[in-house]
Amino acid sequence: MAEKLVLFEHRHLPGVETAAVYETVGGYEGLRRALQMTPAGVIEEIKVSGLQGRGGAGFPTWIKWNGMLGNPPGDRYVVCNADEGEPGTFKDRELMLRFPHMIVEGMAIAGHATGSATGYIYIRGEFTEPADAIRRAVDEAYERGYLGEGIRTDGSRFDIHVHLGAGSYECGEETALMSSLMGERGQPRAKPPHAPLPVVAGLWRRPTLINNVETYACAPHILRRGGAWYASMGTERAKGTKIFSVSGHVARPGNYEIELGTPLLELLDMAGGVTGGALKAIIPGGSSVPILPAAKCTDVRLDYDGCRAAGTMLGSGGCMVFNETTDIVKLMWVTARFYAHESCGKCTPCREGTRWMAKIMDRIVQGKGRPEDPDLLVSVCNNIDGRSYCPLGDAAAWPIRASVLQYRDEYEHWVRHKTSPVGEHSVPKVA
Amino acid sequence: MSQVEFVNITIDGTTVQVPAGEMVIESARRVGIEIPHFCYHPRLTMEAGANCRMCLVEVSMPRKNPDGTLALARMPKPQTSCSLPAAEGMVIETETPMIVEARKGMLEFLLINHPLDCPICDRGGECPLQNNTMHYGAATTRFVEEKRHPPKAYPLSKYVIFDRERCIHCARCTRFASDISGDAQLDFLKRGADMEVSSFRDTEFTSLYSGNVIEVCPVGALLSRPYRFTARPWDLSTQKSICTECSNGCNIKLDHRAGKLLRVNARLNEEVNEEWTCDQGKFGMDYASHEKRLRRPLIRDGAVFREVSWDEALTHVATALSEAGPAAAFLGGARSSNEDLFVLRRLFQEVLGSQNMDHRLGPAYPSAADVRAALGSQSPTPIAAYERMTTIIVFGCDLAVELPILYLRVRKAAVRRGAKVIECQPSSYRERPHANKVTDFAHSSIWYEPGQETAIAEALAHVMTGGRDPGASDGASDAAASLPNAVAEANVEFGSAIPRLDDGPIAIIIGRDVWSRSLSVPATLKAAADKMGTPCVINTYACSVNEQGARELGILPDGSVQASAPGLNADQILHGLKDGTVKALWVSGVDIASQFHDPELVTQSLEQAPFVVVTALDLNRTATMADVVLPLASVAEYDGTYTSMERRVQRFHQAFDAGVDVREEWRIAANVGMRLGVDMPYASWRDIFGAIATSERAFAECTPDNLGDGGRLLADRNNEDSR
Repeated sequence: MAEKLVLFEHRHLPGVETAAVYETVGGYEGLRRALQMTPAGVIEEIKVSGLQGRGGAGFPTWIKWNGMLGNPPGDRYVVCNADEGEPGTFKDRELMLRFPHMIVEGMAIAGHATGSATGYIYIRGEFTEPADAIRRAVDEAYERGYLGEGIRTDGSRFDIHVHLGAGSYECGEETALMSSLMGERGQPRAKPPHAPLPVVAGLWRRPTLINNVETYACAPHILRRGGAWYASMGTERAKGTKIFSVSGHVARPGNYEIELGTPLLELLDMAGGVTGGALKAIIPGGSSVPILPAAKCTDVRLDYDGCRAAGTMLGSGGCMVFNETTDIVKLMWVTARFYAHESCGKCTPCREGTRWMAKIMDRIVQGKGRPEDPDLLVSVCNNIDGRSYCPLGDAAAWPIRASVLQYRDEYEHWVRHKTSPVGEHSVPKVA
Repeated sequence: MSQVEFVNITIDGTTVQVPAGEMVIESARRVGIEIPHFCYHPRLTMEAGANCRMCLVEVSMPRKNPDGTLALARMPKPQTSCSLPAAEGMVIETETPMIVEARKGMLEFLLINHPLDCPICDRGGECPLQNNTMHYGAATTRFVEEKRHPPKAYPLSKYVIFDRERCIHCARCTRFASDISGDAQLDFLKRGADMEVSSFRDTEFTSLYSGNVIEVCPVGALLSRPYRFTARPWDLSTQKSICTECSNGCNIKLDHRAGKLLRVNARLNEEVNEEWTCDQGKFGMDYASHEKRLRRPLIRDGAVFREVSWDEALTHVATALSEAGPAAAFLGGARSSNEDLFVLRRLFQEVLGSQNMDHRLGPAYPSAADVRAALGSQSPTPIAAYERMTTIIVFGCDLAVELPILYLRVRKAAVRRGAKVIECQPSSYRERPHANKVTDFAHSSIWYEPGQETAIAEALAHVMTGGRDPGASDGASDAAASLPNAVAEANVEFGSAIPRLDDGPIAIIIGRDVWSRSLSVPATLKAAADKMGTPCVINTYACSVNEQGARELGILPDGSVQASAPGLNADQILHGLKDGTVKALWVSGVDIASQFHDPELVTQSLEQAPFVVVTALDLNRTATMADVVLPLASVAEYDGTYTSMERRVQRFHQAFDAGVDVREEWRIAANVGMRLGVDMPYASWRDIFGAIATSERAFAECTPDNLGDGGRLLADRNNEDSR
């Protein structure tokens, strides 16, 4: 199987980031078609497509969109989550740089489908170039009438505001993103069953639709070519294509768009295969998901069910490949430090647990590990998992626990010999 | 009224009916199950809560099977019961092995960076973290790393000290600051394990309600500076009392040890202060154990005072008063108990035949008759009733300073219940340095310059009546355009136009500065209120602790129905001392030399007065000019009742013996009366209170035994005949 290019079809077309070139390849046809349909008709098309949220959780997109329609009249918002911060993931960055109009168009379609007049795109603070690309696209879209009142004839309008985050991983969590967008601390807010969904009470307690960049980018294609066409790709329970960011020990790291259900090892081949030694492990969906040892990679299909069956998750599609020079303990040390640094501090298990794990890992790689440390790490992970306020705690616990369970021998080697089991040339290199 | 909907939920096998949407942690209390928690507090909003994760429970919900039958489906993750609304058919388990393990884990997390310095911590012995650890925690720790070490004992303000090491980041204090006091002076800085509570960069925590965060803190992180290191909780005795700092009548607990008052905490009263105190009330308690407390009666001997026996002092007072007879006068009493005032009134009216008595110390207060004429006999708006108001108007009153706890209730009405608050304030209030201003939550703020009060009141009256007149256009929302001439002439600068008033009850609070000088503002508003179809109460609240009691008991020159002619008011009494028409003065509990509007007049009057007796806690300025000074018992040292500004009669209890020879004022007055031949055989506050209930119509339904812990509102004046 090869790549299946939908979003990336015109990836190499010069100038596709401009409205003029984007229009030559069908750009904004989806929006024009959507504006001729009722909101319910647009949502039906999304439903037929089977599109699932591309941010990591895979929630059926149409249910969210549909949930906006039941609300009483008043302000409602469309928010694009462009706070791409999951380590190993860089698909939204390329989408924003190369196809900013696809995202603007997708948000405008969502605006029409949900009766919203205002959109916000919340872009990771470090993404200054993608933000510039989006800003240029928004300006062009206003000039050409795709935003504002413009080509709409029913008196409605749709505006997009570009907002940059301030460097917090947590703000990629949708409720924390809303807090941040409203000017509050970037901390998560209550969700069902404790509080209504954002589509009922989100930004400023108004109905709010939040989707990932890639999800919005799918909408123009679905509206232009039909939900049934989109649903013809992928598997029975996971429709369409998905972009994977492949990085690590591969010959051609980069973003690859494939049909859902493609075997993991085929994705590896597309990226030119493993370099510098034999395959040791793959983290298929960003740093938050459990690590897969090489032996377990052979039968994995890249869709939601396939990954779950293999004991990991599809996540955001940040596929990190590691060869045999990789020291799993050091890899997890870096991971633990990341989550300790990014914990927002709101809830006890994540605030205290992530820092504790990072300190234990610090000690192990300094050669001060104790025989009971691997078990202690698992226990700390168990005490965080499922008990934190938002999924960040789970995301911090899963990779560490999986690594201890899969690579216990490497931890024990560090404890016993105070050196890396793969020798002094091991990676990652961390000062 | 909306009907409350009930749902059935099952908690650890017990099925109970609870209001839909009630938090499960509260429902559990109904069946006697206390779910451990730290961050949950029923008065604080949930948005920033549910963070300690201590109250996790397992939850199952009924789900429909394909064949239509119901089956229980357990949620994959445990849920925080503090934020989980009860729903029909919900099944809660609070003691499963997973929950037991989760609690143990959570306490381990909370303690890894906690210093565990309980032996030197004020909170030790009454600490939720300590208690929950004993009940649910592990005996040992697995944490071998270095703990966090932020600075200890960081002073946030002159009252509050912050031990960051002990903080468990529950956000109770920050939520108090944003949800309750509204000044938001505490918030979190940084993130993750570095997160810390802080005031804004290098600024002082100047909230007028800062002391409450000490009480809501579930660990020993926020501490009272005056109380710090003075006692262990188990060495303290506690007595129920009433705060004397203003007229709100806040219910408090006096914590004392060995005859010393060490700490004041709030006592729950939903009708009055809920569970809050203001800083004046919480920290202004050094009166009781002050080193300058008077210990014995004093008699002037030339230029100095001589300590004498009570017998000698009282003989002296009785002689002087009987010589003065109807030319004796009484000033003060707004800080004395109902019982003190009742006996004092009997002494002056029945024994001496004098109606020269006044509890008000401002300039030219309107007479009681004028007040009745202007405002009728409406009962003031009770504190809790503010939550049911549609509109609240604050006129010339810096509420957080004048009546701090009423401020919290008005804020709650505005922020949580949607009441529309309109303030009309002197523009100088904008410059006041404190952090708690009505402006923060007011719908409209209208600023005026001194002298424009009446014009503003007329504009308000216009809106109040105009908006409701069926013949008038809907012009109330555009009031500024059609204001009466007086307003235009006064060239009033409006911060914003007075908004349209919605249907529903209205409470108007008029500040003392306004109503004590002139009745024109309350009278104008009252006249407008009478024309409205909606209940509207004009409140000229009392300010001192028992000022309302003094009003009810008629400590006024024209407050008595028995007196044929009115006596002298405060100003006239002081002038009378100068010109010799007043021959003896009793000053009760107040330092008139410092507090009277014209201190110069006080000084001259007292110097020329033939006889002055002062009752006081310490040798204040007035006392230094007296002939006899009698040491009074403080509120912590005797029993009695006060009448708060909402006309609530409440008990205060003796906490400890003064240890020095002080007496209640009623005992002093009764003794003087006895020496002058009128027997007032009162043995305790109960005797006097019974007598008050017999002779005073407003108190008719009160007995010493039916006041309860929360006090009792006096009979509604609207149901009385006019006095």
